Amino acid sequence: MSDSTTTEAPAEPPAPVEEPEQKPNFMRVFGRYLTEANSVMVTVYSLLLAFLIGAILLIVSDEYTRSTFSYFFARPQDALQASWYLVRDSYLSLFEGAILNLNTLESYQAGQADFGNLLRPLSETLTYATPLIFTGLAVGLAFRAGLFNIGAQGQLIFGMMGALIVGFSLDLPIWLHLPIAIIAGGLAGAALGAVPGVLKASTGAHEVISSIMLNNIAALFLVWALGTSFLHSETKSDLVSKPVDDSAVLPGLLSSLNPSLRVNLALVIGFAAAVFTWWLLSKSTFGFRIRAVGFNEHAAATAGMRIGSTYTTTMAAAGALAGLGGAALALGVSSGGITTNTALDYGFSGITVALLGRANPGGIVASALLFGALKAGALSAQPDVPVDISTLLQATIVLFIAAPALVKAILHLRTPRGGLVTLEAKGW
Amino acid sequence: MAVDTAPALVDDRAPARHARAGTVYAVLGLLLIAAAFTWLGGKTTVIAFDKTLTDASWAAPTFAIVLVLGALCAAAGAWMLVGLPQRRFRLASTVGVAALVLSLLFWAYSQEGTVFRAESILAGALFLSMPYIFGALSGVVCERSGVINIGIEGQFLMGAFTGVLVANITGSIYAGLAGAMIAGSLSTMLLALLATKYQVNQVVVGVILNLLALGFTSFMYDQLKKAEGFNDAFSVPVITWGPLADIPVIGPVLFQQKLFVYAGLVMVAVVWFLLYRTRWGLRTRAVGEHPAAADSMGVNVNRLRYWNVVAAGLLAGFGGAWFTLGNSLAFNKNMTAGLGFVALAVMIVGRWNPLGVLAGALIFGFTTQIARDLSAAGSSVPGEFLQMLPYAVTLVVVAGLIGKAKAPAADGVPYNPGDK
Repeated sequence: MSDSTTTEAPAEPPAPVEEPEQKPNFMRVFGRYLTEANSVMVTVYSLLLAFLIGAILLIVSDEYTRSTFSYFFARPQDALQASWYLVRDSYLSLFEGAILNLNTLESYQAGQADFGNLLRPLSETLTYATPLIFTGLAVGLAFRAGLFNIGAQGQLIFGMMGALIVGFSLDLPIWLHLPIAIIAGGLAGAALGAVPGVLKASTGAHEVISSIMLNNIAALFLVWALGTSFLHSETKSDLVSKPVDDSAVLPGLLSSLNPSLRVNLALVIGFAAAVFTWWLLSKSTFGFRIRAVGFNEHAAATAGMRIGSTYTTTMAAAGALAGLGGAALALGVSSGGITTNTALDYGFSGITVALLGRANPGGIVASALLFGALKAGALSAQPDVPVDISTLLQATIVLFIAAPALVKAILHLRTPRGGLVTLEAKGW
Repeated sequence: MAVDTAPALVDDRAPARHARAGTVYAVLGLLLIAAAFTWLGGKTTVIAFDKTLTDASWAAPTFAIVLVLGALCAAAGAWMLVGLPQRRFRLASTVGVAALVLSLLFWAYSQEGTVFRAESILAGALFLSMPYIFGALSGVVCERSGVINIGIEGQFLMGAFTGVLVANITGSIYAGLAGAMIAGSLSTMLLALLATKYQVNQVVVGVILNLLALGFTSFMYDQLKKAEGFNDAFSVPVITWGPLADIPVIGPVLFQQKLFVYAGLVMVAVVWFLLYRTRWGLRTRAVGEHPAAADSMGVNVNRLRYWNVVAAGLLAGFGGAWFTLGNSLAFNKNMTAGLGFVALAVMIVGRWNPLGVLAGALIFGFTTQIARDLSAAGSSVPGEFLQMLPYAVTLVVVAGLIGKAKAPAADGVPYNPGDK
C-alpha cells in the first residue's frame, strides 16, 4: 500500500468471530474477498455503481424513453424495453468507439477492411490516454507530498506553448529538434507549476486556489498568444497557431499500417515517464523526501527536511510532467497547429486519473487507459450519446473511490483488515 | 487538531516599524509620482453621471490627482517605516491601497475617448459582486462550523442549471430561484454526508463534486438541447424605488437593481447577525474552533455541521441562479468559469466574516466591472489581460499580501466523537 494513502480507523470494531472454525477453501476466501471493502473491490464496485448511475441518467434525460414511462403502469414492458435498448446502445457505442467496432470486424472478416481500420478505436483510446498519463502523474506526484495540484490544465497549456514555440522557430536536425521541443514543453510546465509551490512555501497560500487561478490565467494567456503575429498561423484566419516543423513532429507508431492511426511516440514517452516517476518516488532521495513530507510534514521538518523547498520542487516536477503532456499534444496530434480547444479537459481529468490510480504510477497508467477509452468512446459516439458522459462517469467513479466508506455502506461490505484506504489533501 | 496557544498580549499603542510593507507602499507611491511626471502631463479624466444627470460631466486634471494620490501612498509607506501604533496599521494600509487603486483608475481612464461613467460602473460593480457574496457567505457558513467547501463552483453550476430549467418548466422565475436553491443544497448534502458521517477528506471530495457538477450539468445540457423549451433565458425584473432612484450616484447604484442585489445585501446582514448574535452562531463558531469542547457542552457536532453545510448550499444555489436568471442568460456549459473559486478567495480575504466578505466581494466586483468596461472602451491593454484581473487579484490576495488570514482552527478536520 502506498505511503501517502492513510488508513481510516474502522468505523466500528471488528465483529467477534461467531462461526466455528472452518477450513479456508478457495471459494470461501474468494467470497470473503468479494464482500470486503479492500482497494481492489472498492475500485470494481465504484466502476459498477458509476455505470449504473450513468445508465439511470441516460434513461431520465432521454425524451423518448421518458415518454414511455408516462404510461409505465399500463404497459411496463415498453418503458423497460426502451430503457434497455437506450442503455445498451449507448454503452455499446462507447465500447465500439474505444475498443473494437463490430461492423468493422464483420467487414474485416469478409475481407473488405484492412487490419489498420480494425485498430482505429484502440489507437484513438491510446491517443486520448497519452496526455492523461502525463497529467495523472502530475497530480499523483504532488499528491504524494500532500499537495493537491489542480493546476495540471494550466501547466499542460504552458507545455503546449513551450513545445510549439521551439517546434516552429528553431531550425535543427530531427535527432536534436524533437528532444529539445519536448524538453521546452516540460520546462514551461515546470515554470508555471512551481508558482503555487513557491506561494505555498513562502506565504502559505493554498495550492488549490492558486493553481485554479493559474489555470484561468493560462487559458486566457493562450487566447491572447494565439492572436499575436508570432504564434498565429500565416495561412489560416481563425485562431490557430503555426504548425511545428516536420523535424519536431512525434512519429506515429502505427502509421505504417494505416496513416489515420494517430497514436504516436508520446505514448512510449508517457510509459517511460510513469516508470521514471515510480523510480523517483520509491528509489530516490527526492522521492523519499516527498513521501515523508506528505506523510507527516512536522516529522519531516524535525528530521531536518526543508518543507518549503520540497513543496516548490515537487510542484515544479509535477508541472514538468503536465508540461510534457502538453508537448505530446503540440508535437503529436495537433502538430498542424494548436487551438484554444486542443487542451480539452486533460488537466482536470488528470485529477480523476490520479485519484483512481491512488497516486501510484502503475495505477495512474491503468486509469489513464480507462479514461482515455471513455473519452475516445464518448467522442466517437456523439451526438447519439452526449459527449460529457465521459466527464460524468469519471467524476462518479472517483467520488466512490475517494469515499470508500460510502461504497461500503451502500453495498454493506466488510471493513478490511487495516481499514479503508483514502487519499488526503491538507486544508487551509 | 491541536489548539494554538493564546496570542501574546500586545500593547497596540506602542509604535512599531513595518519595514517590508512600508518599503512597498513608499516605492509604489514614488513610482506613481514619477509616472505622473513622465506620462500624464496635461491629460484629463472625464467622469460622467450617465444615468441621472445625463449632460453633466467633470474633466478632472489627471496629473494633479495622481500626484496627490501618489504622495498620499508614499506618506503611508513612510509612516510605516518610521513606526506607527499597531492599531493604526490598518488605517495606513487602507489609505495606501485606496490611493493606489484610485490613481490607477484615473490613469486608466485618462486615455482619449474613455469616459468614467460613474453610475453605470458602480451599479454594475455592485451587481457583479453578488456571486462572490453568495458563494463566500456559503463558504463562511460551512467553514465556521469546520467543513471546507471547495465545491462552491459546482453548487453554482447546479444552481445556474436548475434555476433556468425549473423556470422554463413552471414559467415562473421565483419557482426557478427556489429550484436553484434546492439544487444547491442537494449537492452540498452529499458533501455534508461525506464530511460528517463518512469522514472523508473534504478538499478531495469538494474538487470531485465540482467535476461531478460540471459533468452532470454539461451532460443534461446536451440531452435537453434536443428538445425545445428547457433552456430559454428568463430575466429577473429590475426593482426601481420610485423617486429614490433619481438621486445622483446613490439612486442608480442602490435603488434601481435586481432582486439579487437586495437579497445579497440582506443575507450579509442576516448571516452576520446569526453568527454573532444567536445561539446557533455561538455553537457554529465553537464547533469550528474546538469541536471536542463544544461536544462536551452538549452540542451534537456532526449534526450541526451537516445542517450548516446543507443550509450553505441554499445560499450557493441562489448565487448560481445569478449566472442565468440574474443575467437573463440561458445555461451554458461551465458558464461559471471558476468564479466559485474566486468566491473562496473572497471568503479568505473577508476572514470568514460576513462583513469582510461584503468588502472583499465589492472589491472583486469592482475589478471585474472595470476590466469589462475598459475592454469595451477599447483599452490599449489586450482584453484577455483585463479578463485575467480578477484571477490575478485572487492570486495576490491568497498569497497574503493583505495580511495573514487565520482559518477556524478545526476547519477541514473530521470530528469523530470517539477519539477526543
